[in-house]
Amino acid sequence: MIEKVIEVKNLVKKYNNFAAVDNTSFDVYRGEVFGLIGENGAGKTTTLEIIEGLRQPTSGEVKVLGFDIKKHLREVKREIGIQLQSSAYYHYLKLDEIVDLFASFYDIEVDPVGLLKQVGLEAKRHEYVNNLSGGQKQRFSIVASLINDPEIVFLDEPTTGLDPISRRNLWDIISAIKKKGKTIILTTHYMEEAEILCDRIGIMDNGKIVAIDETHELIKHAKHPIKVKFVTKGLKKDLEKFSVFGELDYVAGKEYHYELVLNKKSDLNKVLKEIDKYNPIDLTVSKASLEDVFIELTGRNIMEEESV
Amino acid sequence: MFKLLGADLKMLVRNKQALFWSLFFPIIFIVIFGLFFGKGGNISGSISIIDTSNNQTSQSIVKGLKDSNIFTIKNYGSLDEAKNQIQAGKLSAVVYFPPTFASTTQTPSNAVKIYYDPANASTSNILNTYIDKFITGYTYKVNNIKPQFTIDAEKLNNNKQFTYFDFVLVGILGLALMNGSIIGIAVGISKYREDKILKRIVSTPLKPWKFVLAEVFSRLLINLIQIALILTVGTVIFDGHIYGSLSMVVGLALIGGILFQLIGFVIAAFAKTTDAAQGMAQVVTIPMMFLAGIFFPIDALPTWLSNIVKFLPLAPLLRMMRGVALEGTSPLQNPADMAIVLGWIVVALALSLYKFRLTEE
Repeated sequence: MIEKVIEVKNLVKKYNNFAAVDNTSFDVYRGEVFGLIGENGAGKTTTLEIIEGLRQPTSGEVKVLGFDIKKHLREVKREIGIQLQSSAYYHYLKLDEIVDLFASFYDIEVDPVGLLKQVGLEAKRHEYVNNLSGGQKQRFSIVASLINDPEIVFLDEPTTGLDPISRRNLWDIISAIKKKGKTIILTTHYMEEAEILCDRIGIMDNGKIVAIDETHELIKHAKHPIKVKFVTKGLKKDLEKFSVFGELDYVAGKEYHYELVLNKKSDLNKVLKEIDKYNPIDLTVSKASLEDVFIELTGRNIMEEESV
Repeated sequence: MFKLLGADLKMLVRNKQALFWSLFFPIIFIVIFGLFFGKGGNISGSISIIDTSNNQTSQSIVKGLKDSNIFTIKNYGSLDEAKNQIQAGKLSAVVYFPPTFASTTQTPSNAVKIYYDPANASTSNILNTYIDKFITGYTYKVNNIKPQFTIDAEKLNNNKQFTYFDFVLVGILGLALMNGSIIGIAVGISKYREDKILKRIVSTPLKPWKFVLAEVFSRLLINLIQIALILTVGTVIFDGHIYGSLSMVVGLALIGGILFQLIGFVIAAFAKTTDAAQGMAQVVTIPMMFLAGIFFPIDALPTWLSNIVKFLPLAPLLRMMRGVALEGTSPLQNPADMAIVLGWIVVALALSLYKFRLTEE
């Protein structure tokens, strides 16, 4: 039996007449990494902050670990750990002092060094937050969310603005937290990251969840499951020929570079034979990625908005 | 709670820039005012006396000037040399007695001559008045006339001869409390909000009132250090005086500290950004700094203005503090003052309870 640790039902958050969160429902299960992905302004952070009790919903119901957050926010706060998007910590306290101080907010004692060790910051324990690099700051804000040994950890864009190495380093930390049996709910706008980290994903657009499923299921149901990229100088007039298989497009800004997305997996062999006739200089075949699914689901809306 | 209080204090002390403004800035004011008006009493500028007549009359005027202690008297060899010193800005005025001074023949050259620097007109005014009075009195005496009208000035508040410096010392105390508390809270809390520290704290089970209380208490402790430092420098180095009850002065100062912190919270509640908070805090503090009686009594303002200013939070607070510090009266001597201060506390508290939230909607 899968246990639901977060239940969101018909959640609405309105600012004047604008619905930042528009009748959204979803569940998060114990022990999984659940990802909310979407463009900036899609409503991810607002949704998270309502679950965390930091914002009041206009309507709808949120239960965390079975507690209704409207009535039992204090109990909920003890069981959740929060990393806020782009937040800073006290400027004039050292890392171990901040950990100590936040532990006192939960009326508990912790070992700051042990905690900082989990994210490789034990050597920096006597430094101020401002003296840390971007990656170190993010690692610190994650460890700060673990001070009360929470059941559920909320990470709001934990890797935004980090270099690739720091990002990978953070992925390892997030996996390690998952291995301890904690439930993680995170937001990101890096599709690759969501694909790697998340067990399940909800795609948000304009305050609504437009798709929600296990990550590989989402990708499997992409409209165009296979993508063929190739480079050839021979293809000029015969472009039309490929439209029976799917959509052929130029790779943005590059002459002779083409990208063909297939409607059916089974057409792949035929397509490859066809392309071969034009002596391709380069050829790559790949599965659809989360990014393709995401653009299929939300890109249409961007165009609609622009045409209005 | 105590951990939070300790952490808040640590942060206040480590924030060197804010500490400078709350502790050393008022000290600079005291040093400046102390050097002008503190020790040595009522010196109104430096003058030089060139007496070439050297008769009885001139000698007695010179002696009178020296004994009065109104001026610092510098000696130069010749009139020209002294005039050069005025040009150089090192001297305010020269009193020149020509060789024919006070001779009975009526020539213009028997008058005493004063050369002065127009930039130091106040010194020459005092000097003119002083010498004029002396000469008039002397003339009466020579001609055996008794003046028909005299002035009979009597000092009230016996024994309590507070000086302008004492007056300003209390004012600077108020200034330091006002600036430190209003700007400190308004900017500090807005910065916490901008950095999402407030939000992060709200996500923990800590009760918001504990957060606010620790913030207020830690600043009141810093206020105590401010008060101690200002009064020590003012009284020990520059001879200022607190005539009344010291603990009453400190008590009133802390009431002021609470009031100003509440005003800071109101500003933090309305300001959307740290910059806005900074600006709004200045809009509140700067007019009070110049108008509410820190450097001069508000009676010196035009009546319509002083009628407004006397209701601003700082003015009644300073009136009470000065009453206690300089004249040893009770802070309830004029109950309206206490009523205005408490009224402002109630208004600021109500506004911040209504509007101030640790998180946004």
